Amino acid sequence: MSSIRKKIVSFFHIIAQVNRDKATEMVEFELKELENIFSLLILGGFVGMPSPPVPIAIELLPYMERELTVMLSRSDMASDPLGSLVSMLEVD
Amino acid sequence: MKTNAFFLGKGGVGKTTMSAAFALSMARSGKRVLIASLDPAHNLGDVMGAKLGDSPREVEKNLFALEVDLNYWVEKYLDESRDELATTYSYNLTLNLNSFFDIMKYSPGTEEYAVLWAIEHIRCDLSGDYDIVVYDTPPTALSLRFLAMPAISNMWIAELTKLRARILEKRSTITRLNPEAPVHNSCVDKDDDKIYGKLGSIKRRLTDLSMLFEQESYIAVVLNPDVLSVSEALRIKDELDRIHIPLSGICLNKRGVSKAPWAIHERLADIPHFPIDFLHGGLQSREDLATIDTTLLVADFMATESVRKGNA
Repeated sequence: MSSIRKKIVSFFHIIAQVNRDKATEMVEFELKELENIFSLLILGGFVGMPSPPVPIAIELLPYMERELTVMLSRSDMASDPLGSLVSMLEVD
Repeated sequence: MKTNAFFLGKGGVGKTTMSAAFALSMARSGKRVLIASLDPAHNLGDVMGAKLGDSPREVEKNLFALEVDLNYWVEKYLDESRDELATTYSYNLTLNLNSFFDIMKYSPGTEEYAVLWAIEHIRCDLSGDYDIVVYDTPPTALSLRFLAMPAISNMWIAELTKLRARILEKRSTITRLNPEAPVHNSCVDKDDDKIYGKLGSIKRRLTDLSMLFEQESYIAVVLNPDVLSVSEALRIKDELDRIHIPLSGICLNKRGVSKAPWAIHERLADIPHFPIDFLHGGLQSREDLATIDTTLLVADFMATESVRKGNA
């Protein structure tokens, strides 16, 4: 009886979590874009984009591990950014 | 209170001579003076008649001198950043980024920053032992770039700080709505975020340097009675106006070197100017510096200092 109760609680917990994930999906996408832009601004000098003086980038670089990882993962979808956006919005 | 003096000007107009003569005059009047050469091609040691290094050396009573080694500051800074990178990053990304550091010393902006780090070091660690710090600067291009650097960098820092604040706000929103979201391990608080903190500390350092240039420094331009150095002085004035650094005085060096008719440009006429006669025998020893009459320049510097003291 207790096992069934646990499974039901777990089921509702999963449902709630799926809904929470859905609710924050857009904001997370926006956050990743902001983090990507932040990294591009800092490191833009390396690829010819307008950027702050290189020494500022060097001072910030040691703390940008997450932002660099996001930037590298964003570069994977660079060839089809519209596709990823449309799939996130579930537009067929 | 103005406790710093910068001598700017076109290459060869006599910046080192003027700054050394000014420093010597101040030292002999009883002030404890440090003179620092920021020019990568140093000749302050030749003028002072002493071999100088990166730390102050007493040239005579009350007069200390040093020649900033810009390569040392670039290397020191890059080494510190490299070490910090190695300790902070948890995987092999460091190996890929490490290669950037080898070319970093030749990147635009690095030399200007090295000058700023050297000035910051002098201001924070050395200037407390002296009444006045006199800077002999590199020729105009590099000098204007390092003087403008705090203002330009602060604009970038302001924008990056705003963007960072937005990122932290979004992270906070996501973590509140969905505590199991992938960002829950990331920093959401401004006080804990290392990037936000670093942006703040860079801003404070740059603001201190801006204050040094704008409020605590006597900026003098050295020029000769010729069209080229006057044109350059006008460009320096325009650039200083643009970055809100007041021009305090003009040293008309080498007066009498030519008999050609010459007059100061009207746009520079309002700024106090101090004529210095051409030394026909040239500079042979430090004692020759004492023959350069800097009385009016010293009086103007001291007057500015005492006015500021009075205001304080």
